[in-house]
Amino acid sequence: MRPETVKSAALIREARLRAGLSQELLAERTGKSRPQIARWEAGAVAPSLDTLLDVVRACGFDLPLELQPLVARRADRLAELQQLSPERRLERMLARAQAAGQR
Amino acid sequence: MAARGSFDPRAALAALERNYVDYVVIGGLARVLRGADEVTDGLDICPLCSAVNLDRLGAALGELGVRGRGRGSGLDAKLADQPVVGVTTEAGALNLIASSTGAANGFVDLRRGASKEDLGGGLRPLVASTGDLARMAAALGRDRDLARLRELRRIMELEVGREPIVGGAPASSPATGRRATRSPRISR
Repeated sequence: MRPETVKSAALIREARLRAGLSQELLAERTGKSRPQIARWEAGAVAPSLDTLLDVVRACGFDLPLELQPLVARRADRLAELQQLSPERRLERMLARAQAAGQR
Repeated sequence: MAARGSFDPRAALAALERNYVDYVVIGGLARVLRGADEVTDGLDICPLCSAVNLDRLGAALGELGVRGRGRGSGLDAKLADQPVVGVTTEAGALNLIASSTGAANGFVDLRRGASKEDLGGGLRPLVASTGDLARMAAALGRDRDLARLRELRRIMELEVGREPIVGGAPASSPATGRRATRSPRISR
């Protein structure tokens, strides 16, 4: 999976599974081929935005698109947390909980 | 062990491991272990709902000071009736979730994407993948879940973009549960 395809891959898979559809059924509904659906879900390629909306709607969902200010600090923090091991993430969380409890 | 009610996830997980309980960590602690920026004060697990495993779980709960939860304590009937069974242990709150919206077959669904994560002291619990955690948050659909969902999706992007973990061993991507193709490396 490529970083730039993660979001669309996760959205399509999530929409399909929540709709209880097989890849074949979704392919039928969207007029695409099953291998194409599989490639999108695997993140090998990403659909265009318009196609993504069509696929999500074929699953009975909508994907509201609206501009929101980017919360850069939070995004940075998530990137920093990714550099920690799960053990360190746990320790950090417990330290924060303890600090909050002492306040 | 911590006083009753204070959250000590390592103690709770150690009791589960000592008793060979099959389970997947989900909920807030799983999100934290995957890199979410939040604080949680309870442990949510999705256990395998076989009679043998629930017997082991009952034994673990007994060790954690939960009264009436030793071996053969009827957990199977309770989990069949209720979506969430919450208990208060000497290591804090513990929620047992047999199946969840977004993971209808519970442990069986979640195990595929989950990976064992090293929490130190020999603890290596099975933790739900970021993708499964996102699916569960999306399916629940509450306001707080949607905020978590945005964060989990961002984490999925970061997981795919970074070099994955686990010293030396072939790692699977927590985002998808699939085998990673890059060499593992992460700071401790």
